[in-house]
Amino acid sequence: MTAIRGSLTVLALVTMAAAFTACGESSGSDQASQGKQGGSITIAQTSQPDALDPAIAYTSNSWEPLWLVYTAPLTYRRAEGTEGAELIPGAAEALPTISKDGKTYSFKIRKGLKYSDGTPVKASDFEHSVKRVLNLESGGTYLFEGIDGATAYIESGDPDGDIEGIATDDKTGEVTVELTAPDGSFSNVLATNFAGLVPSNTPFSNQTKNPPPGVGPYKISKVVPNREFVMEKVDGFDIPDIPKGNIDTITTKIVQSPSRQAQDVIAGKLDYMQEPPPTDLAAEIKARYSDRYKEWPTLSVSYFFLNHDLPPFDDKEVREAVNVAIDSSAIARLFGGRLKGACSLVPEGIPGRAELDPCPYGDPDGPGDTAKAKQMVEEARATGEKVTVYTNNDSNRQEIGEYYTGLLNDIGLDAELRVVDGAVYSDTIGNQKTKAQTGIVNWYADFPHPATFIQQVDGSTIAETSNPNPSNVRDAEITDGVAELLPEPDLDTVADRWAALDQRVIEESHIAPFGSEELTTFLSDRMDFENCAIVHPLYGNDYSSFCLK
Amino acid sequence: MTRFVVSRLAQMLVVLFAVSVLTFLIFNVIPAGDPAARMAGKSPTPTQVEAIRAEWGFDEPLPVQYVKTMEQVLGGSAISYFTQLNVREEIVKGLPRTLSLAVGAAILWMTMGIALGLLGALRAGRISDRLITFVALAGVSLPVFWLGALMAYYLGFKAGWFPNGGYVPFTEDPLDWAYHLVLPCTALAILFIGFYSRVLRSSVLDTMSEDFVRTARAKGLSERQVLVRHVLRNSLIPIVTLWGLDFGAVVAGGAILTETVFDLQGVGQYAAESVGQLDVPPVLAVTLFGAFFIVVLNTVVDIVYAALDPRIRVTT
Amino acid sequence: MGQSPWRLALRRLRRDRVSLAFGALFVVLVLGALAAPLWASAVADRDPDRTNETGQIEVDGSKVDVVSLDGVPIGPQWRGEYFLGADSNGRDVMVRLLYGARNSLLIGLAAAFLTTLLATLVGLVAGYFGRWVDALARSTLDVIWAFPVILLGVALGTALAVGGLKIGPLELGAGSMTISVLVIAIVYVPYMARPIRGEVLALREREFVEAARAQGAGPLRMMAGELLPNLTSTIVVFAPLMVANAILLEAALSFLGVGVVPPDPSWGNMIDAGVERLVTAPHLAIAPGLMLVLTVLALNVFGDGVRDAFDPRSSAAWGTRRP
Repeated sequence: MTAIRGSLTVLALVTMAAAFTACGESSGSDQASQGKQGGSITIAQTSQPDALDPAIAYTSNSWEPLWLVYTAPLTYRRAEGTEGAELIPGAAEALPTISKDGKTYSFKIRKGLKYSDGTPVKASDFEHSVKRVLNLESGGTYLFEGIDGATAYIESGDPDGDIEGIATDDKTGEVTVELTAPDGSFSNVLATNFAGLVPSNTPFSNQTKNPPPGVGPYKISKVVPNREFVMEKVDGFDIPDIPKGNIDTITTKIVQSPSRQAQDVIAGKLDYMQEPPPTDLAAEIKARYSDRYKEWPTLSVSYFFLNHDLPPFDDKEVREAVNVAIDSSAIARLFGGRLKGACSLVPEGIPGRAELDPCPYGDPDGPGDTAKAKQMVEEARATGEKVTVYTNNDSNRQEIGEYYTGLLNDIGLDAELRVVDGAVYSDTIGNQKTKAQTGIVNWYADFPHPATFIQQVDGSTIAETSNPNPSNVRDAEITDGVAELLPEPDLDTVADRWAALDQRVIEESHIAPFGSEELTTFLSDRMDFENCAIVHPLYGNDYSSFCLK
Repeated sequence: MTRFVVSRLAQMLVVLFAVSVLTFLIFNVIPAGDPAARMAGKSPTPTQVEAIRAEWGFDEPLPVQYVKTMEQVLGGSAISYFTQLNVREEIVKGLPRTLSLAVGAAILWMTMGIALGLLGALRAGRISDRLITFVALAGVSLPVFWLGALMAYYLGFKAGWFPNGGYVPFTEDPLDWAYHLVLPCTALAILFIGFYSRVLRSSVLDTMSEDFVRTARAKGLSERQVLVRHVLRNSLIPIVTLWGLDFGAVVAGGAILTETVFDLQGVGQYAAESVGQLDVPPVLAVTLFGAFFIVVLNTVVDIVYAALDPRIRVTT
Repeated sequence: MGQSPWRLALRRLRRDRVSLAFGALFVVLVLGALAAPLWASAVADRDPDRTNETGQIEVDGSKVDVVSLDGVPIGPQWRGEYFLGADSNGRDVMVRLLYGARNSLLIGLAAAFLTTLLATLVGLVAGYFGRWVDALARSTLDVIWAFPVILLGVALGTALAVGGLKIGPLELGAGSMTISVLVIAIVYVPYMARPIRGEVLALREREFVEAARAQGAGPLRMMAGELLPNLTSTIVVFAPLMVANAILLEAALSFLGVGVVPPDPSWGNMIDAGVERLVTAPHLAIAPGLMLVLTVLALNVFGDGVRDAFDPRSSAAWGTRRP
């Protein structure tokens, strides 16, 4: 997933190995629903979520609320850190039974499960939910294309057609899914928001204005597009290990200015803001309101992509020069300090990360060596080469772009900046026609797995539009390595081989990582910050943990 | 009079047509590139682009395209392919906000403008007049987005005297609605107060030297009676017509900056956001409706002016 | 006949100290803008787009971060380097202000010049030929007048933002300053063309015009030779106001993102960035804002003085319209 603001993103993933299937002990103390019950709060997002329809929604703006409204057959433990990466049963009774050949997944829908409007949940609703994802050309379509008959269903164009590979029995609640090829990561697919169950009468169109009922601690009761939407606690929601939520009513307002949001949280007029407060106010917040503010690391990496198909970055030495010159502390200032230096593509917290100590390009948190980099550029005979740097106008991305452009000029290139609106940025750099030589990428993990990241430099994912590999890296060692490692079901046994691939990315300077962004939780005074503010590694701030003092 | 009205209305229709054609040209013809792809926004599938091409008629000859575009926008079926929201609905949602701002600011700038202008005219040539002139000129020189931002921050957040932005619907809480409008209306009005005070001042000075005023004085009316009964009434005519024009301009999009700074989410801000997202249908619709509004208002103003001042009917 | 109106006006203007002072202020500002490279190299030793996030300078004997680790830039130092402080990328605000002045003034002056040219042309032709030519011109002006200034600027800016402009042989890249100049120029044509047309209509009936026509002068000679010289006073009166409006509109467009695009500085986009940091670095918004106000005020006061000089009892309403 790319940037936090409401831009639709495209994931490169094709298949993934199951990340954490071990059923550890559930540590009840990490889970919410311990706090004071009741009350209503008002929270803010900076822009309208891309969609309030589980089949289509694909940004953090939409996933943060929808996670609590629609439960998929599986879900992730509602805890912080590595515990939050554990798969647990959601709408299903238990984790799926997987056939020996890895192609068949069976699970049973919990008995007596009901939607927020009281309608009983049927096994066939699962097939309907998947059909919506496929039919509506959602960003999550590719995740389900491995199901037998999925492609035929799409091609037939008939929404009411049948997906051969999914068999359901409404009487017993059993669901059996046949894949065309073994896919060790399919359990993770069954845990995405896309697999969130909706009733079988949900129409085949974007239901944002009137979201269908779902299974979850909250339901969406009112939507005024571009202004606000309201979530209400669902009475009678009861699935073990999924917290029931404390607050009764959560109203999300769309407030376009992060400054105003921050001002309002300080003043108590707003209870929570989804985006980090702007640098301007962050200093004051850290000084005076640290009792209701915290920063936390994310499973993300921020880097400058380097297009291998065009000069000057087709030359490895020039790419290395960029890595040598980058000063993460300069960029960290533009994040208000919320940046941790990085010397790998896979971020800290995900197995399969290259631990390069020392980093071949100098201390990742330390200054860059522009003199040396300038020399390297000279040796590569690239001095004076024209470069257009792409960035967008979200929060600090423009300032980062200005820093980077200045940097490239300092090392002898002739760089200029092009600012594109945040809403169309991913499409611009993802389109080969743009011929973008370099620019900023912020990538967030969708699954806790290294493949999401390594596939950004996997030659087999290169596309003409919505290109997930904007650096256009065609490195046979990486491509072959990914193809070999993806189907492996147990990540722990192959983590070191993934780390080797990560290491190669850095050694070949395929990209220029500059850090991992830290996000924030900032609550108003009336919220209980100490006990009721859980942060999930994939879904961010967990609203079901919020409670008033 | 009727002949004047009829001819003016005919003129209006011609201008409306020309405005619609110009808007159409600006958005669909002049820019380079494929208009269907431009409208479709981000990552459209080829099917979506083709659907848009058919809906708006981009493959057809220009006149047909024009008709289809007008159908889409005026018929109210145009949607933003970006947000999936119906453009006309969004405009209607934003209208009360824009109108609240415009009306509030208009009342403010008229009262203050007339007061200052009168004061300046009465003290013409003296230091106080020059001072008022200077203040008026300063008001006109202030960029509203800068002034608004400073007001929102220092008076709103820092001092806490007023809300730092946002809009509360009248139906929800009339007092809060007014409270939220104080800063934005003031910021927007300051711009016009300067201008109107100067216009009124000139107008009053002109009128005071007219014959009928001297006649009134000769008849023995007190200065105050002369002022109120004759001078003011006559000098207000140009002001009122100007006011109509400016009000139209503000509603039709002149409020963009103020709305954006104070996050009022009115029609102007809707257009401004769409601009950033390169979302064509909303900007096209707002431009068209805005221009229509101005043309109609201009015509009404002209007719009213002619009704008040018979000399005008002849020269036009 | 008496003294030529020009001489009279000049004499009156010379006695108007306030207007002269503000006129001088404007000239000073223009000179400042021209001197931008000088300031950058000699005084501040910084380029307008030279970023310096991790730099340090000496303040009272100790080293201070230009941009703190939390991202807060230093405020005005009131001496050579970082005279008005730094922005979030560590660039020198004073230097950017002066370079921004160049862009803002250039676009403002160029647009005003173009407006004057077009308005004079349209006004002359419409007023002189009358009848259908006049009707056509008035209708065109009405159409342009119908578009609210900013919206038209924004609309054109959007439309041209992606692919640029392409009408027949004329091709302009997106975001080019020429587009800003064109948009601003066109938008203000009606404001000036109407009064000029009015003047021409009045002049047309005067004796010297009749005389020239009796001598067999063709339309071109009439317009250029007889009418135009008499219009210069009107033009001169309107000029400063047109420049003031053009500068303000440019700032507004840049603020909305459709004018001068960063990292090129312009007062408008500097204010846009500055209002995001009013808490920790108010100088970022206040400095360009004040410059803008001073420049426009100077032009307005001087323009007012010029108008008073030509007609002390002038009742013509200002040609200015505010967005």
